[in-house]
Amino acid sequence: MAGHRYEPGGPIGEAVHGFEQTVIALLLGLMTLVTFASVVVRYVFNSAIGRGIENLLGIYLPDTILWGQEVVLILFAWLVLFGIGYCVKITAHLGVDAVINLFVPSTRRIFALLAALACLAYALLLMKGAWDYWAPFGGFDRTAGHWFPTGFEQTRDQAWYITDQVPMLGIFGWLEGAINQGEEYEKLPRVIPYIILPIGVLLLLVRFIQATIGVYRGERESLIASHEAEDALDDAAITTKQEG
Amino acid sequence: MDVLFLFTMVIGLLLIGVPIAVSLGLSSIIFLLVLSDTSLASIAQSLYQAMAGHYTLLAIPFFVLASSFMSTGGVARRIIRFSIACVGHLPGGLAIAGVFACMMFAALSGSSPATVVAIGSIVIAGMRQVGYTKDFAAGVICNAGTLGILIPPSIVMVVYASATDVSVGRMFLAGVIPGLLAGGMLMVTILGIAIVKNLPKGDWLGWGEVFASARDAGWGLFLIVIILGGIYGGIFTPTEAAAVAAIYAFFISSFVYRDMGPLATAEGGRNLTLLNKPIALVTAFFHRDTRNTLYEAGKLTIMLMFIIANALILKHVLTEQQIPQQIASSMLAAGFGPIMFLVIVNVILLIGGQFMEPSGLIVIVAPLVFPIAIQLGIDPIHLGIIMVVNMEIGMITPPVGLNLFVTSGVAGMSMMAVVRAALPFLAVLFVFLILITYVPIISTFLPTYFMGPEIITN
Repeated sequence: MAGHRYEPGGPIGEAVHGFEQTVIALLLGLMTLVTFASVVVRYVFNSAIGRGIENLLGIYLPDTILWGQEVVLILFAWLVLFGIGYCVKITAHLGVDAVINLFVPSTRRIFALLAALACLAYALLLMKGAWDYWAPFGGFDRTAGHWFPTGFEQTRDQAWYITDQVPMLGIFGWLEGAINQGEEYEKLPRVIPYIILPIGVLLLLVRFIQATIGVYRGERESLIASHEAEDALDDAAITTKQEG
Repeated sequence: MDVLFLFTMVIGLLLIGVPIAVSLGLSSIIFLLVLSDTSLASIAQSLYQAMAGHYTLLAIPFFVLASSFMSTGGVARRIIRFSIACVGHLPGGLAIAGVFACMMFAALSGSSPATVVAIGSIVIAGMRQVGYTKDFAAGVICNAGTLGILIPPSIVMVVYASATDVSVGRMFLAGVIPGLLAGGMLMVTILGIAIVKNLPKGDWLGWGEVFASARDAGWGLFLIVIILGGIYGGIFTPTEAAAVAAIYAFFISSFVYRDMGPLATAEGGRNLTLLNKPIALVTAFFHRDTRNTLYEAGKLTIMLMFIIANALILKHVLTEQQIPQQIASSMLAAGFGPIMFLVIVNVILLIGGQFMEPSGLIVIVAPLVFPIAIQLGIDPIHLGIIMVVNMEIGMITPPVGLNLFVTSGVAGMSMMAVVRAALPFLAVLFVFLILITYVPIISTFLPTYFMGPEIITN
């Protein structure tokens, strides 16, 4: 079993580690709260109680959160795409280790190197894809080439594409001048939610490069965990040892 | 034959230790780039849309989160206390209580390995203390733990529903009777073994203990009422039900059980109440334990969704190449009836379940077999339950069943020992699989009764 835990090295490593964990926790927490809030708004604000409060305070309570579902789905994509690189770092991605465990460590290391190269190929191809998809929304050009980027090609500008329901946020106002020819965005432009694609894939690529170096130097054994409960299992094993 | 090449590549990459998600994704990308005009940009887009375009899959992070809040040692302990109070006095009582506890825990959590860890780490040690053999204890928990994906809520069912566009609510309802039946069969088997072998039985602790422990465990078990009641009462969508369940679980674990968050105290001490520390109502949201639980659930979500997202790319390849139609027509041409077809599905899933994470496997296999099943007149919900039960068995079949790994870790036994220990009960689950496969009414009765007849038919 590849049950080794990630230990951050140095103060910077620790800060990055903490930051990544906090972002993951925050995104999931926000998703849950927004979904919950939509349910509350639908049932409580729309009920007799809600109307009572409206009359009492002379305010208007919304009947639905129109942007709720779209925002939660965007956060969902952000959570996963941000986190895949982090999961490479802590060796949390699932894989099959039954076969490689049959071999002696030196052979196993060759397999691990091959596996790491496959992961690099995946991340590199996806990196081109992520840029190509995001770039037109940000007013940039796509890269040319089917497999590998061979320079940039003229691309139809898609910077005016906006999300369905997500309100425009003031802090992104500068985008109107920068990429939308000064025209006002009525809703949040798509360039914002989609930016997680190049960012997330870049992080994934960096983590795979680090992992490959680690395997090459013999600092890590493999890139996979054999099952999802490895951490919980470690905890359980530690408690059992302490007790008995 | 291109497709054969595709699958060879996936399996080859898997076996040399490439993560499942990357094996699926890389093979599909290469296949698409070589054989079609598909651009890398559109592949990146489908990766993004795997999350942003699937409202049903959004239930997964919320169910994972609810179960993370509930998986604190406290809830498992309370459930076990309640099961022992109910059935501990029967012959083989502690083993039966272990199965019962796994069933209840399965109703709070959507994952099998999690169920084995939570219940197994307490019950296996307890069973050894009162004189059961280690093998027997491990075998019981290893098998009962697989109920995690059959008893609703279940992550695997959410994935199946999303892959085939059937209703999540129906799938959950369909899992109830099979789940109870499988648990019941395991319990009866244990009872039989216990009477023959004269295994130890506990004392009847009286109705007082039953009620006291039920009240204590009830806060946690009410979660299943929220989920199922909310969905069938038409109050929430399954995704919303999952989010509400997660918030409920947070409140129960922080303010009622108080095993985590600002009101928890060190081992053994009495936890504080809200009256001692009313500020906790605010601080609980920012407490370290809350953040860590969110992080753990987030991490599991990322792992699962990375696999599912890449499996969706592979699914896209398969549908683009019209593989399901080809398989369907060749199978129909070969004159396979529903029974032969279901046997083939069983075999594919049993083999695939050895290597693949269950939800990823469902994403790939479901679109392949679904159209055929519809043509043959098999109920989509019934097919889903068959697939889930197959996944369960895949988890405890050597050489690489997930639950075997986890149990060997929890019980501190070698893999081979766990395999041998699990074998007798594996036979029970096989009988159960045959029963489920050929008696559709077990799966379809509840959904039809509550939600009317299935509309997706031939």
